[in-house]
Amino acid sequence: MNTMHRAAAISLLAATAVAVRAAGTVRVETRDPAGAPVADAVAYVHPLDAAAEVYPPAEPVAITQRDQEFHPYVTAIVVGTRVVFPNKDNVQHHVYSVSPAKKFEIPLYIGDSTETIVFDRPGPVTLGCNIHDWMVAYILVLDTPYFATTGRDGTAEISGLPPGRYRLEVWHPRLAGKVGRDLAVAEAGDTTQVVSVTLRPDRRIRRAPDGGGADYK
Amino acid sequence: MAMADGPFVSVSESATWQDNMTYAPSGDGVRGALSLESGFRVDWLRSLDFSTTLTTGVAGDVDICTEYAGLDNVCLGPTLELRHKFGLGPLAPVVYAGLDGSAAGFQDPERSKIEGDIIFGFSQRLSDAFQVALDGRLGSFDARDIVFCGNFASLDAAINWDVNETWRIKLLGGWRNGDLVSNYAAEQSPFGWVAIDPNTEYLPGAWHYVRTFHEPFVAYRVSTVTWSYGAALSPAIGPHTSATLEYAHYLSPGIDRYVDNVVSLSLAHRF
Repeated sequence: MNTMHRAAAISLLAATAVAVRAAGTVRVETRDPAGAPVADAVAYVHPLDAAAEVYPPAEPVAITQRDQEFHPYVTAIVVGTRVVFPNKDNVQHHVYSVSPAKKFEIPLYIGDSTETIVFDRPGPVTLGCNIHDWMVAYILVLDTPYFATTGRDGTAEISGLPPGRYRLEVWHPRLAGKVGRDLAVAEAGDTTQVVSVTLRPDRRIRRAPDGGGADYK
Repeated sequence: MAMADGPFVSVSESATWQDNMTYAPSGDGVRGALSLESGFRVDWLRSLDFSTTLTTGVAGDVDICTEYAGLDNVCLGPTLELRHKFGLGPLAPVVYAGLDGSAAGFQDPERSKIEGDIIFGFSQRLSDAFQVALDGRLGSFDARDIVFCGNFASLDAAINWDVNETWRIKLLGGWRNGDLVSNYAAEQSPFGWVAIDPNTEYLPGAWHYVRTFHEPFVAYRVSTVTWSYGAALSPAIGPHTSATLEYAHYLSPGIDRYVDNVVSLSLAHRF
């Protein structure tokens, strides 16, 4: 390695160290009114002092259909992200959305669809399969790079935040009302935000088969 | 033609109590009994376009009557159904039409029959929680003896209320107009075996002496209108299985009046 290259490498390491040191983390704990953790909630922050630039990932995000369900149930992406919908079932699916943020449909297919959908507007998108009405999933398209989805324990960590003021918001497919608050992130500071969310009842289309009845003999 | 998906297999087990399984008018002919039924269905599904499916399949069941072995039967037949949804999404209305065929072999061989039905229906989800459904059937069944042959038309309506993802409450109503095999207790007369119930002397239908009920009975073919109403409670036991407890009251007005109360407990599973 020549001197110029060594100097460049040292500079890069130093810059990275500064960036790491300067990055803050917001840990979000979502709880329902009874105190139980809320999974599949998307926590995201918008910087209040500067515009956030988003860069969609180079590789498409996959939402898989398996056992006649979408996986995962909730996916958060940034504007411009490409999404593919591989079908791992042995039945055909017809994926569609009629949501304002993205209207599309992929005609019946099995296996890996060749179609890639670009989500170019922010907002929630509801996915369905027109053959199997119980299949539902959600994509939240965001215009900020700072987001995370809660796991079963109801927690999510948004890391890599430059110091500054932010607007924290939480979204869930069954959220009863808007949830948001302003917060400040200090250099290398971690902050924990406990967010109480109220969810509407889970009204997914019932999948179980119908039974009952008697025939004339 | 699109490729067929499947086979999709579903099975059901049910226990059904009928307090008038002889469909007799009140009197000496009314007999109640418990039946146990195991059913299966195998379907292949072709998606013709994003909202139209063609289902072909085979359905069958084994029905055991705990009181009267003559009513034990095995049934098997093909099914065909074309289903269309008007638009995208679960709230779009659905219509369907199809054909059901079956051959049923009874322990009392004279009750064995073949049946062919034209089916049609409509369903509409009003919201994630409520759905209305209308099922129609035009059927014809044929046996060796004319008593056990007939035609009918029926219309069944249901309102499904999915209280949550697990519990479903159903309200049921039905109408059936057509031939029915009623069974009356009989006594011997100079003219042979005749029904004890005096109402039956007004019945114009054909009759036939049967040994199904361990005592003298005659089976009549009557043509009558039957109204029914009922309710069901159905918990989902996971995404592929449900249980259903159903009660239905059947009432046929007129001279061949009969009343039947049916309670069934069933388990349905789709693989």
